[in-house]
Amino acid sequence: MTPIIHRELITILRTRKAFALQVAITLFFTLLVVLRWPSDARVELSGANSQQVFRLFAYGLLAAVTLLVPIFPATTIVMERRRGTLALLLNSPLKPWAIYAGKLAGVFAFAVLLLALSLPAASACYAMGGVSLTHQLVILYGLLLVVTLQYATLAMWVSSLTNSADAAVRVTYGCVLGLSVVSLAPFFFLQGGEGSAARVAEWLRCLSPIPAVMQIVGHGDVGMLDAGPGAPLASRFLLLAGLTTLAFAGLTIYRLQSNLLDRARSSGAITDDQTTGVRAARRVIFLVDPRRRTGHMGNWTNPVMVKEFRSRRFGRSHWMLRLVGGCAIVSLLLAFSVTTGGVQWEMETMAGPLVLLQAALMVVFIPSLAAGLVSHEQESGTWPLLRSTPLSPGVIVRGKLLSVAWPMLLMLSATLPGYAVMMYIQPTLWLQVVRALLSLALAGLLALMLSATVGSWFRRTATATTAAYIAVMLVFVGTMLVWLARDAPFGHRTVETVLTGNAMAAALAVFNVPGFQTYQLTPSSWYFTAGTIAVLAIVLRFRVWRLTRPD
Amino acid sequence: MNCTPPVVEIHNLTKRYGEFTALEDLSLSVHRGQILGFIGPNGAGKTTTIKILVGQAKPTSGTARIAGADCARESRKIKRLVGYMPDGFGAYDNMRVREYLDFFAAAFGLSRQQRKLRIDEVLETAGARYMQDRYVESLSHGMQQRVGIARTLLHDPEVLIFDEPANGLDPQARIEMRELLLQLAASGKTLIVTSHILPELSRICDQVAIVTHGKLRAFGPLDQIMRQVSQRRTIEVQLTSGEAAAAASRILSEQLSEGEPVTASPAEAALRFETGRSDDELSDLLTALVQAGVRVAQFRELQSDLEDAFLSVIRSDTAAEPADPSTPSAATR
Repeated sequence: MTPIIHRELITILRTRKAFALQVAITLFFTLLVVLRWPSDARVELSGANSQQVFRLFAYGLLAAVTLLVPIFPATTIVMERRRGTLALLLNSPLKPWAIYAGKLAGVFAFAVLLLALSLPAASACYAMGGVSLTHQLVILYGLLLVVTLQYATLAMWVSSLTNSADAAVRVTYGCVLGLSVVSLAPFFFLQGGEGSAARVAEWLRCLSPIPAVMQIVGHGDVGMLDAGPGAPLASRFLLLAGLTTLAFAGLTIYRLQSNLLDRARSSGAITDDQTTGVRAARRVIFLVDPRRRTGHMGNWTNPVMVKEFRSRRFGRSHWMLRLVGGCAIVSLLLAFSVTTGGVQWEMETMAGPLVLLQAALMVVFIPSLAAGLVSHEQESGTWPLLRSTPLSPGVIVRGKLLSVAWPMLLMLSATLPGYAVMMYIQPTLWLQVVRALLSLALAGLLALMLSATVGSWFRRTATATTAAYIAVMLVFVGTMLVWLARDAPFGHRTVETVLTGNAMAAALAVFNVPGFQTYQLTPSSWYFTAGTIAVLAIVLRFRVWRLTRPD
Repeated sequence: MNCTPPVVEIHNLTKRYGEFTALEDLSLSVHRGQILGFIGPNGAGKTTTIKILVGQAKPTSGTARIAGADCARESRKIKRLVGYMPDGFGAYDNMRVREYLDFFAAAFGLSRQQRKLRIDEVLETAGARYMQDRYVESLSHGMQQRVGIARTLLHDPEVLIFDEPANGLDPQARIEMRELLLQLAASGKTLIVTSHILPELSRICDQVAIVTHGKLRAFGPLDQIMRQVSQRRTIEVQLTSGEAAAAASRILSEQLSEGEPVTASPAEAALRFETGRSDDELSDLLTALVQAGVRVAQFRELQSDLEDAFLSVIRSDTAAEPADPSTPSAATR
């Protein structure tokens, strides 16, 4: 086990990615303390100021753990398998549990190192007074260590299931977002209710560390969540996190057997060669059969776009249909809840979850699709082939961007039935709906351009995907941290300025969702987002042009 | 002698990366339908030359032309003239072979109808028709090489450039690859092939270029290269029995000079020596052996192959080379 810990940790620490993470975390928390450190000599006895800073610090730390911890464990097993070193490890006398424990200890040690880098900032918060060492700081760090362990084991499990590093990264981020944000959704609808469904929702939200952290920092008033001191949220989270961590670990160790590598090559079976009965049955099941022989590309279609769809696992039509169907069903369920009185909301309030659903879809899917548009070509060795064709950089960029823009448009369109119901019931809402949809379309385009541009600067898809997720999260989630600390320590003007860069916040403000009523974000947000998209488009075009030029 | 104008012309090609000289003053030409074997050790400058030829790298000085088009300035034209298969296959995930070829054919601007026909043709030529529904990432190495060749043929280029096409193939697949390359040359294509498996090249190449440390050390038809690098011949004397090996060795040593040592192998009943003597002088040696009563079964010159030529150039180059590989010495040619 020891050689694996040693190798894992040393390998991670030697990467530029690890160095950049350490520097970024140190700078971020140093900046936080420097900006919020009291400038006058008076002592603030109530401790309100330090509590405000502590809240921001805690949420920042949770966001950092959520974004950064999965990076290394998500690729640790899949990379070993692709390089062929997993076979060497499995052929050694090391038991699967020892290999797993060694790897987990290595990545966990690095995550602990990242957490340790925030300790000076935590000490500064404590030195400001008003923050309890035992009831707040120690519990917060303890909880974050558990979150770290949970996400590391989750990421390693995903890593053992996937076939490529970038797929591992995006699935892990999807699962992490599911655990930390989507798990809050049932409680959002059923809070205050009675019965088993409400109790399940109450427990389900404890899968997310957010309510527990809110309770620790004494923040009981964020949006709809009541994280007051009543419910034992932290202990429930620790219990559920412990159970899920054990489950993820057990599943991964079970996967780490020699038969992990025992996979036959695809025989290339094709439905066209099957009997009529099989063909008909598959037609009914899939609607668009993924195993049928596809036709040749059209004369006027962009070949790069079609190639991207075909080479993407979830780019095939049957997956797109499922995704769009799922989105449509969720948006209609939301509308149904409101119109039947299942949830006592105003029409505008219902728009909040719809906007968040669309934004979540964009944040989860777009970086995973757009980040590797260029880097995957370089990593897989297909870039020299693409360069040797007469395709111009413009055609390549357009084809690649369209291959993500179309699914994005489908996702956005699939959630329109919810808005349609809203407008049917309250026709005066149409202008707000149009303004919100414009904001969301810009948000989607921004996520697309940001992911594609950031990703194009990396040669490895996993790194590109990670960087794109971090960039997109910073825009859509990071700015919300400032919103969380609205009024104190950040003033109204600061929050409004920061939210101008977040088109999702602009859509929420259009519908006067609680917490966003006082901010006037449109049309300034549209101009800012459109300008940013234009700049990113120029940068991406230049980058691809540069890559297609002779060395 | 080929009277047609060369299809590939390289004049004084030099490529420098900062202080490092990857290619220096390389000049060669290849005529239509010829196969050029481009050989050299790792880091010799083969891939740099190829990248310049396919328009993916710019030379520091000198020119490279394919069918009259300047590789550095007319890269769009070059892309249509050249079919390039790099060392790595370059697979797209989740794509079947036919879809993979369809994409590249569309990228070269072939219409839907043309593509349908052309893909069938190239799959047939490359012997890859049976794998058209397989996923490209699941193909074996040999299968991938065939699909790679099929891809290079899609736009019917004049010149085909293959980087290590036989690398990693089993003997049967190598024979098939060799036949495929000969078939392509016979159809009028001009081929530039790099390989480390030198016997493969010696069987198919019309011309050979040997590069080391960025410099062209030998270039020309294979037999000319052999003559150029093999000034000393290796002679093997096969005896009827090993018992006479010692006596025969003594007789030969008396006739030969100190620089022509004889190696005796009683177990094989054979003697070998390297010499620069003429056929008449060798005939005298044989006569001396026979007159001394040695029973000779065979007296023959061992055929040197491309590998010997290559090693000979490398050895002479290494001996003359200064410690710094970026400053190669004068050519041995």
